Amino acid sequence: MKRRKVDLQQAPVNAAKGVDERFQAATPLRALLNKVFPDHWSFLLGEIALFSFIILLLTGVFLTLFFDPSMKEVAYEGAYPALRGTEMSAAYESSLHISFEVRGGLFMRQMHHWAALLFMASIVIHMARIFFTGAYRKPREANWAIGMILFLLGFLAGFTGYSLPDDGLSGTGLRIASAIMLSIPVVGTWLSASIFGGEFPGHLIIGRFYIAHVLLIPGGLLALISVHLGLVFKQKHTQWPGPMRTNTNVVGERMFPRYALKQGGFFMAVFGTVALMAGLFQINPIWLFGPYRASEVSSASQPDWYVMFMDGLVRLMPNWQIYIGDYSIPPLFWPAVVGLGALTTGPIFWPWIEARKSGDKRIHNLLERPRDNPERVGIGAMAFTFFIIATLSGGNDVIADKFHISLNAMTWAGRIGMLVLPPLAYFISVRICLGLQQHDREVLAHGVETGIIKRLPNGQFVEVHQPLGPVDDHGHPIPLEYGGWVVPKKMNRVGALAPAVKGFFFPVEKPAEAPVSPGMPPVSGDTREEITSGRK
Amino acid sequence: MTSDTPAGRRLRVFSRRRGAPSKTRRRLGAAVRMVAALALAGGVYTAFAPGAFADEPRQLSATAQEGKQLYDNSCITCHGRDGQGVDDRGPSLIGVGSASVEFQVGTGRMPMVRQEAQAEQKKPQFDKNQTKQLGQYIQELGGGPQLPSGELVENLEENPEALARGGELFRVNCTSCHSFTGAGGALSSGKFAPALHDATPEQIYAAMLTGPQNMPVFGDNQLTPDEKREIITYIKVQLQDDRDPGGIFNLGGYGPSTEGIAIFLVGIVLLVFTALWIAGKS
Amino acid sequence: MTTLHDDATATQKAVDVSDPRLSRFDIVKEGLRRDEIEIITYESQFQGTNSKAEKRVVRNIALLFIIAGLGALAFLGFYIWWPWRFELGETLSDFYTPLLGISLGVSLFALGLAILAWAKKLLPHEVSIQARHDGGSPTDEQKITGQTMMFVADELGNGVQRRPLLKGAIGFGLAPIGLVAAAPLIGGLIENPHKDELPIMYTTGFNPGKNGGNLVRLTREDGSPIRPEDVSTGGQMTVFPGIPHGATNEYADSPTLLIHLRADDAQKTREAAEADRRNQGSMWGDYVAYSKICTHAGCPASLYEQQTNRLLCPCHQSQFLITRNAQPIFGPATRRLPMLPLGVDEEGYFVATSDFKDTVGPDFWERP
Repeated sequence: MKRRKVDLQQAPVNAAKGVDERFQAATPLRALLNKVFPDHWSFLLGEIALFSFIILLLTGVFLTLFFDPSMKEVAYEGAYPALRGTEMSAAYESSLHISFEVRGGLFMRQMHHWAALLFMASIVIHMARIFFTGAYRKPREANWAIGMILFLLGFLAGFTGYSLPDDGLSGTGLRIASAIMLSIPVVGTWLSASIFGGEFPGHLIIGRFYIAHVLLIPGGLLALISVHLGLVFKQKHTQWPGPMRTNTNVVGERMFPRYALKQGGFFMAVFGTVALMAGLFQINPIWLFGPYRASEVSSASQPDWYVMFMDGLVRLMPNWQIYIGDYSIPPLFWPAVVGLGALTTGPIFWPWIEARKSGDKRIHNLLERPRDNPERVGIGAMAFTFFIIATLSGGNDVIADKFHISLNAMTWAGRIGMLVLPPLAYFISVRICLGLQQHDREVLAHGVETGIIKRLPNGQFVEVHQPLGPVDDHGHPIPLEYGGWVVPKKMNRVGALAPAVKGFFFPVEKPAEAPVSPGMPPVSGDTREEITSGRK
Repeated sequence: MTSDTPAGRRLRVFSRRRGAPSKTRRRLGAAVRMVAALALAGGVYTAFAPGAFADEPRQLSATAQEGKQLYDNSCITCHGRDGQGVDDRGPSLIGVGSASVEFQVGTGRMPMVRQEAQAEQKKPQFDKNQTKQLGQYIQELGGGPQLPSGELVENLEENPEALARGGELFRVNCTSCHSFTGAGGALSSGKFAPALHDATPEQIYAAMLTGPQNMPVFGDNQLTPDEKREIITYIKVQLQDDRDPGGIFNLGGYGPSTEGIAIFLVGIVLLVFTALWIAGKS
Repeated sequence: MTTLHDDATATQKAVDVSDPRLSRFDIVKEGLRRDEIEIITYESQFQGTNSKAEKRVVRNIALLFIIAGLGALAFLGFYIWWPWRFELGETLSDFYTPLLGISLGVSLFALGLAILAWAKKLLPHEVSIQARHDGGSPTDEQKITGQTMMFVADELGNGVQRRPLLKGAIGFGLAPIGLVAAAPLIGGLIENPHKDELPIMYTTGFNPGKNGGNLVRLTREDGSPIRPEDVSTGGQMTVFPGIPHGATNEYADSPTLLIHLRADDAQKTREAAEADRRNQGSMWGDYVAYSKICTHAGCPASLYEQQTNRLLCPCHQSQFLITRNAQPIFGPATRRLPMLPLGVDEEGYFVATSDFKDTVGPDFWERP
């Protein structure tokens, strides 16, 4: 038989050809390799959520290998001496087993929990970025809505996961969840009985939460995250206004090699941060909480931070009960069911509300600087102030205790703050935006303040301004049009001086990137005459 | 704790601590209690009776004499002469016992700086010896609960299940105010349950016995001295001396609130700075 | 494909990729042209090859990769050899998790920084522009697809319209199948909360019906009964129904707080209780027992302040005044804590003379 010589160099080519003949991958693959992404630090916030989700999947799968979602009562005989002989559910026992008898199990548990907190935190931060820059405008309304649903799913995933170990703290949370279900008019008792399989806590809830936590909710998250990213891909990322950047292009880096490499590096940084936190900070020491008993509770019983806003609203709610004939609606219903429902679903409709209000039907691929839309910033500041007060009130007993404030005073401060501070935040942020806008316009019209005071022959003192653009015959700057992007306001921003601190923040607003108007060429340092105080 | 076989000990964990005693034992118990009550009443009477004749000098031991000196200097303003109490200023100290003094003075809560919602713990004004003397004085004034002598922390080598039992009792009786981690917690209107991190076994015992401030009283009928010792063992061994296995920092043991702060202050801040660096032009 | 917006790409000429004179970068550029991308800058960040700056950057990146590797090795070392079994006290094993975290964290973070530094500092600096196409498909495409969908709808819809028998049959056939999908879910999941003879919403373990008609004793968590003198004056005790499993979560509504009040407080409490229809005669001596389950959200409202006689719930800070029938005086709770009628049996132990007369636990719609 004739031995065929294998051409090693040609092998990958042949393999690639083979793949393409079957899948016709060449064209889409090239488009993928070449896709251009804009680059800005705030565009990476959503990635933190994505990467935390991947960490959650990895660590979560590890935990399922050891977790037993059963509420069967067993007597603990494991490695942790302070619970030996205690009756507990198998779920709690296996959580202790993971913590103390699986090598590295506690580390995995802590990574999982920290990643969950990071997931929700980055979703909120990412959402704030999207909101304040107007990135949700047409054509991206759907992605905003999906993002909100992702928050809600993350909320549910977090709550079900928090409940699984069946420890003293999470059991208290479950009890409150059952009370929230009970508070729903007409169907409350039926709903609670159906979900818990009878009276609270029953024997089913951990198993039911388990399947929701490891299959149903992550399935939903995975599907929606795919759609979320797919839409970003299809619609291409928004970008800030800037040199060469228009509504019909994307300026940035190609996906490969640089952008993808950065993403990979950032993933490792997120992973490393989660691992570092899991090692440095103890989280949820369930072994101290003991098994859940309906009679036991701890002071400072709180849910994880992303549920705290709801808990805070529940705490602040005055005791108003509504009676309808023989029936009644308990006060718990309003913050926990109506409040949670409204706060998580209401914002979904914001893009359409705003578009309707402004009558704006255009497509927006360029972001808006927050200051350029004070109305939106005001509403956002109002919403976030509300959210922050509610969240702080969710921990108001810890604040009261550690800062020696009366607990009752904290509750009242929250109640009053909830009504007073959001409008105040609206007012203040709108004023700040308007002020910043005005300053931008002043600089464009007159140039940058140099800090140099000149005395005119007639004795008058004037400050010298460095024009940003051309000047007219009298040497006065010709007013420039605002381009929607950073206006240099200090001399070191226009290259007259070296930046005070080199490195970190300086390049973000590098003046060469900053055209003062779309029509103007970027300002460059060497074409300008040097300004001095006159003394050489 | 005299069970000597491990099986016996194990059984104890689940068995009822107090079965219904037999009739004779109950009667006997009632008789004993009766005698004790009479003796106590007599004791209280003898303690009170001289109070009526204030000028008559009291028969005090030498230690108590020293204590009286301290009392007359530092405590008399609020608690009145001979611990009778002053309306709206300080309660009567008759019957509070030396345990109460050990706690209130030993933790620096007494003497108070000013009238407030709750006496704050501060640096004790009296040393151990002086506290003992004050305690002796109050004890001799009106009787009351006293700290037992002997070890207050169980020896876990001899009695290993004391830890788990103490944990159980701690969660039933103490965590609702002092929290699972012993970090303390808020009560209504500015009052609070203090953290247990620095509490000594004597202080914890005295606090349970006397119910200082708004803390409920856990008398010896309610939590037997053994049970109190088990609780102290849990606090000491598990909450105070054991290093948390889950991290260098335990975030104060305040639960999800500090964890939430940590994820923003550490996690988000670190990653936002990383993002700034990534996108910054070099 | 025509480019509508971007003049830059429009000016580029297509090249024949089979031309052997083309460099690889030329071919890449042809690909970019087809994807409507124009590279504005693509230049090395260093002047000349092997510049000093470049060497420094390379050294730093190499260092980061080495740190990543060392961290990973440290992780493995700690994972395998560090003592990890839990021990009480300050032991080496307490540092197992922290060491894993720190070594892995440092390793991964260094790896991340190494990759980032590589991308940021070594790869050529790049600015590319890609055109985007918004605003829907061309109108003719829209029309074609729309008409196709209408055509499909016509075929199916009108077909059914014209054939009434089919219409009925489809409806009849599909609707029950939809119900089949819903039936096991609804039938299996839905529980009637009011079905039991002793309805779960209104019954606790103190109901004599749970004890064969006999009065239920108050017990500790270990099941031992309680005599009046077991509770100290100014003290409180969590008590459970003295029935099998009475102290377990099976009777999650039953935990009760038995309080021994001081005489003057007891007097006040008694006056308030006697004035109340439901709580009349529920106290025994200076003892009063309230449900521990908060009427707001069901947490144990068990922070007993013995001097101010308040009960505080640690979950939402509702405060109840013991001396006034546990009326809520602060926080979101609207309903007072139910009082358990107390008695003492012939053996001298506390019993509940009946179940709670109010509904225990969080409030709901149909509570009487």
